[in-house]
Amino acid sequence: MIEAIQSLRQQSAQISPPVVALLLSILLFLAGGLINPNFLNVAQAVNIVRLASFLGIIAAGQTLVIISGGEGIDLSAGAVVTLGAILTFRLSSGQNDMILPALLVVLAVGAVIGFLNGVGIIVLQVPPLVMTLGMTGVVQGTILVLTQGELIGNMPPLLGRLIAEPLILGIPGVVILWVLVGLGMWLLLERTTYGKQLFAIGVNRTAARLSGVRVPFIVILTYTLSGVLAAFGGFVLLGFTQTVFLNLGGPYQFPAIAAVVVGGTVLSGGKGSYWGTMSGALVLTLIESLLRALQLQEAYKLMTLGITLVVLISIYGRQRSVRQ
Amino acid sequence: MNTVSLSARNVTKRYGGVVALSDGNLDVQSGEVVALLGANGSGKSTLSKVITGVIAPNEGRLHLDGRAVTFSSPQAAKSVGITAVYQELSLIPDMTVAENIWLAHEPRRWGIAVDHREMRARTQDLIALFAGTVQSSLHPDALVNSLPPDERQVVEILKALSLQPRLMILDEATASLDSRQVARLFELIAEWKRQGMAIVFVSHRMDEIFRVADRATVLRNGASVGDRVISETTEQELVELMIEGMVAPDSVQGGQLAPDAPVRLQVRNLHTDLLKGISFDLHDGELLGLGGLQGQGQSDLLLALFGAIPCGGQVLLSGQPAHFSHPQQAMQRGLAFVPGDRATEGVLLIRSILENLQLPSWRKYGFPLNMVRARADAGQVAQELSLVMESLDAPVSSLSGGNAQKVVLGKWLLRNPRVLLLNDPTKGVDVRTKVEFYALLNRLRAAGTAILFYSSDDEELLSLCNRVLVLHDGRIRAELAGETLNHANLVSASMGTTNASNGYE
Repeated sequence: MIEAIQSLRQQSAQISPPVVALLLSILLFLAGGLINPNFLNVAQAVNIVRLASFLGIIAAGQTLVIISGGEGIDLSAGAVVTLGAILTFRLSSGQNDMILPALLVVLAVGAVIGFLNGVGIIVLQVPPLVMTLGMTGVVQGTILVLTQGELIGNMPPLLGRLIAEPLILGIPGVVILWVLVGLGMWLLLERTTYGKQLFAIGVNRTAARLSGVRVPFIVILTYTLSGVLAAFGGFVLLGFTQTVFLNLGGPYQFPAIAAVVVGGTVLSGGKGSYWGTMSGALVLTLIESLLRALQLQEAYKLMTLGITLVVLISIYGRQRSVRQ
Repeated sequence: MNTVSLSARNVTKRYGGVVALSDGNLDVQSGEVVALLGANGSGKSTLSKVITGVIAPNEGRLHLDGRAVTFSSPQAAKSVGITAVYQELSLIPDMTVAENIWLAHEPRRWGIAVDHREMRARTQDLIALFAGTVQSSLHPDALVNSLPPDERQVVEILKALSLQPRLMILDEATASLDSRQVARLFELIAEWKRQGMAIVFVSHRMDEIFRVADRATVLRNGASVGDRVISETTEQELVELMIEGMVAPDSVQGGQLAPDAPVRLQVRNLHTDLLKGISFDLHDGELLGLGGLQGQGQSDLLLALFGAIPCGGQVLLSGQPAHFSHPQQAMQRGLAFVPGDRATEGVLLIRSILENLQLPSWRKYGFPLNMVRARADAGQVAQELSLVMESLDAPVSSLSGGNAQKVVLGKWLLRNPRVLLLNDPTKGVDVRTKVEFYALLNRLRAAGTAILFYSSDDEELLSLCNRVLVLHDGRIRAELAGETLNHANLVSASMGTTNASNGYE
């Protein structure tokens, strides 16, 4: 009997964090049904996945940066999301045929910001935390200069239809887009030389260098990709919010990092996955929706969210020690 | 010092389904040195960690001075006078030598404030034990991260000694030491024996075991398989006990170099911060040895050739200039490098064996990566190296030291290198793997690979190489070949004496 329990415990310890997160999100969804029977239906499920999509797409770049190790983190992602949305809003001015040109500009601007982050970290040896925090200020300042405080522009109607409204079989466009991003990220991480080298530099930069990996190039490329993906996140988010404001992306900054960590990507680098981040985004969105369904005050909501995260991560920590 | 006796009986340790130790037995008492022998993964470290309280056994008994004891922590073992020196260092790099040695048992004034003067004085006394074998830069206030590996190991030994142990376990503690430091350590061990200390000596170096130990306990696959009195046994007998079923490692004889072998690597006046002008030729199919004490520039030479550190001078590869600013360039020109520190420079511990083997080669599998081919290629190399593993997807951290080292070498074999640079590749590797390793080097050499081979083990250089360059203080002190290649010349050149020189000042 005792042996049976022990073996069960050992088996459960071998489940990977992404699976834990995914199971947890299903559990949370069912728990939502207990609190409020209206919670348990397809429309609600679709809505939650739709909300999670935005967080998930914004967290894609963060996943790469955290895997790259060396205390890697991109605190400028939130500001870049805002900039991406504002640029799309302004450049397209509500014209459908301007969506594509606007997108290209947005991606290029994201790339430049990410590239500068990477150069600061590699060439000037500024710690990622400080470099990207500084970059947040620069981007926010740029937004103010660009807009002069006035947010002129409009959202192209087509963008709203493509993103927010049901596209195929009642599934919103953004969810389909998220799945495509997921596929792309899997390819990037698991089936490209870049992906393999990214994990390598995350574990041990000396060993990677002595195996022929150009560490500075990979780091700069990673921060550049993070900038591109954050800017793309802003573009997508605009399709949902339909309008822009100066702190549009800010509220996504820390949930995006949390989604990466809840999904089992290790903060010290070298280990993780994007499908983990996707599960993490689902968990965070569900917790948030549940707390809203409970009609808790904002203060209690924040406290519960924080405590849940700490508990979840401590379970992962325990798992690791069991395995050693 | 009081007398002490410790006996471990039928000790078992399981990790999940893996049995690390199935029947560990060890007896040791005051005034004797017991060598603990076994191939990697045979349970030596597990047994010593049970004795020092680092891990709790599943079954078995420990008797100290005749009474049954259990240790809940390393502190519990230390409090009764049992301590260990490990190969993987436990020092804190950003603290001074004195702070490291006295960490957690600092001498105190009135039982409260740390008595720094006393601490420095006592540290000075400890360092004096190794006087003449360490540089003057090793002093109580030196930061540990400013010390070379051998001196860090000395500090580690002094740290254990500062606890005034009754039983000390030296687990591969000589692997990073040079021959003078080893000799000094053995003198000290003789002294400690006289004072009544009991010593357990874990080492892969057979000559050291015969120099220092009184008895040997042999472990194989987690169980004690034999106990021998050193003066009544032979190297051969012990090795056979360790690797029953395998052919004992007679020294692998190096093949002769073809007289017309073309020069692959031509090095002229190479210099770095440490190297002061190195010149030599390396031929196709040659296994050229690099000898000398630790830290005389051997690592720098290999790193500079591989493009990992900046250097001046001229290097020609097959007649073409070969001055690399990044290892990737060296790699593309057919160079390969096995670094000296496996864990920090060689492998990605938490990543899979597959990813470690393919790290330098992913590019050739296209986009998307052809994983079927990558896996097949890696599997082939793993088989060629007889890698003992669960699967290619298991992390390298699950491998024994010898097998992890095979992975480091294996990743280069996948690229068919023309020049192989080896930085002490058999350090801390078990006998069995060493033998496989020598055979592999001979195969590579026969196939025309040019190999530059640094080893801290003199026997290895003497038995494998036709020619050895002895480095001292950043220069080639002697070139030994043919008749001049013998142990006496190797040692005297290592010490910087010139009587063995052959065309060098």
